[in-house]
Amino acid sequence: MNGQAWLLLLEGAWTTLWISSIAIALGVVIGLGIALLRMARIPFVEQALVLYVSLARATPLVTLVLFIFLSAPTFGLAMDRNTAAILALTLNTAAFNAEVWRTAFISFSREQKEAALACGMTNGVFFRRIMLPQMITSSLPGLVNEMSFLIKSSPAIAVIGIVDLTRVTNRISAVTYEPLPPILAAALLYMLIIGVLLKVQAIAEKKANRLAM
Amino acid sequence: MPEAPAVQIDNLSKSFDGVEVLRDISLTVNKGEVVSVLGSSGSGKSTLLRCINWLEEPDRGSIHIAGQRIGVDAQGKRMNNRDLAAIRAKTGMVFQSFNLWPHLNVLQNVMEAPMQVKKMRKDEARAIAQTLLEKVGMEQKAEAFPYTLSGGQKQRVAIARALAMSPEVILFDEPTSALDPERVGEVLTVMKNLSSEGYTMIVVTHEMEFARAVSDQVVFLEKGLLIEKSAPEKFFTNPETERVRKFLELST
Repeated sequence: MNGQAWLLLLEGAWTTLWISSIAIALGVVIGLGIALLRMARIPFVEQALVLYVSLARATPLVTLVLFIFLSAPTFGLAMDRNTAAILALTLNTAAFNAEVWRTAFISFSREQKEAALACGMTNGVFFRRIMLPQMITSSLPGLVNEMSFLIKSSPAIAVIGIVDLTRVTNRISAVTYEPLPPILAAALLYMLIIGVLLKVQAIAEKKANRLAM
Repeated sequence: MPEAPAVQIDNLSKSFDGVEVLRDISLTVNKGEVVSVLGSSGSGKSTLLRCINWLEEPDRGSIHIAGQRIGVDAQGKRMNNRDLAAIRAKTGMVFQSFNLWPHLNVLQNVMEAPMQVKKMRKDEARAIAQTLLEKVGMEQKAEAFPYTLSGGQKQRVAIARALAMSPEVILFDEPTSALDPERVGEVLTVMKNLSSEGYTMIVVTHEMEFARAVSDQVVFLEKGLLIEKSAPEKFFTNPETERVRKFLELST
């Protein structure tokens, strides 16, 4: 492998990273929104969300990416590859994140809420200052876990022609006729990215232990 | 016009699923008074306490905190959350299971409500919190997180948290029931000090000695009825009802 090949690999890694990062950021926030809406138990909205979460969790990522990219023109949407990829990854990860957030909601103790109300906090202040910070801490290990899953399943976006970190290895070996070095190099880059996430997860877990009374 | 009592309860009733847990309770607690609420489990004493700050909504009757009606507005409708929170801020509550906020350290637990509810400046809230932590003997642990504390220490922090809002009345819901026996004393000592400093307190408790030594009034609940209300000496030496006599015999 020469310098040119490494450059291509890094480009592929960058594609994987920025598309995944946007999907992760959107997915975490939308997941929280879905969990909040579901806890509000609004008729029809709740059923619709349950349906979405089950569908998104049951659909393979490759299928979802293809479906979104290929069906967009039918709905009159001009969608480029990257947007379709981000949308598919977001729809997928948001559904899993919603479940992580919801678990944190359900397991939150009523007593802490009573303590907050008893000293004059409104529901809004209680949520913002007492509940949300703890939900973030207790959900973080699960959310980070989901993030690393997302990155590891992101090669699915190659199906619509995006040259991500995995796809780029094919390109390189098509020229060099040596598939092993680029694959190993790509694996190393994946490990680096996931390694950073695992580090974050370890810190998050340590902080979460504090909440266990 | 004389000063409004800290807490005035009139004809309060409450049922859960058709079971009456409070029946026509009336009670006046004046400023600076300590009232102990006794009774066996299930007599309704915790529910009574939780109605005072509207954590439970009573079915009938009214409650005034320092002259202001809680839970019901001038039109007789259910109070909006903001107004309800404003009146609740005039009460403090200490729970059986402490209910500290585990993501905040001791100092932050005490500072949180003054800063968020009273919009107090941080340095001012910190100064108040430090003074209160000294009052309950927890100033050494200001930076510690709740999970590192013993039950007695947690409860003393919870008391400081309740005091931080300078409430008209502090409601204690069996504050020593979840503690190891050797930790009960440190919490009761703090509470005794508060009573001698003139704080208004309503205490649901099983600690007979404490009730006798500290209270201005002792009330006894039985199946949701307030069956006896007397000064502590009379209550413990010469109660009016046979039920209280029996209760005292069994619990000493």
